[in-house]
Amino acid sequence: MIYGKLWLVVKPTVGIPLFLGGVAIGSFMVHYMLLTNTTWLKKYYEGKPAVTAMVDAPAATAAAAPPPAKP
Amino acid sequence: MADATGSDKVWPTGLTEEQSEEIHKHVIQGTQIFGFIAALAHLFAYIYSPWLK
Repeated sequence: MIYGKLWLVVKPTVGIPLFLGGVAIGSFMVHYMLLTNTTWLKKYYEGKPAVTAMVDAPAATAAAAPPPAKP
Repeated sequence: MADATGSDKVWPTGLTEEQSEEIHKHVIQGTQIFGFIAALAHLFAYIYSPWLK
């Protein structure tokens, strides 16, 4: 296996926690930055709907008078 | 008696080549399982959250 001899020169008791810690810190930082620098992630975590505006145009269109018929 | 190039040689970390390969196999397998679960989580996030929309 490629790099299988890594643990001959790096102690697993040092290398494995370092590797897992790097992954944990990296992924935490990415998600924390998304939470603090975007508007939608906070709303999503709070459970608000993605679209809050209601469209009421179809009702007005239906109520409008039909165009006059041409001879 | 193990020679300097044999697989019985104990390296400074206290492991032989065979033991190192075995540990690495588990590290790789764990990484693959983690990666698969993470990819699945990102797929769900893409589908069910406003991410990238």
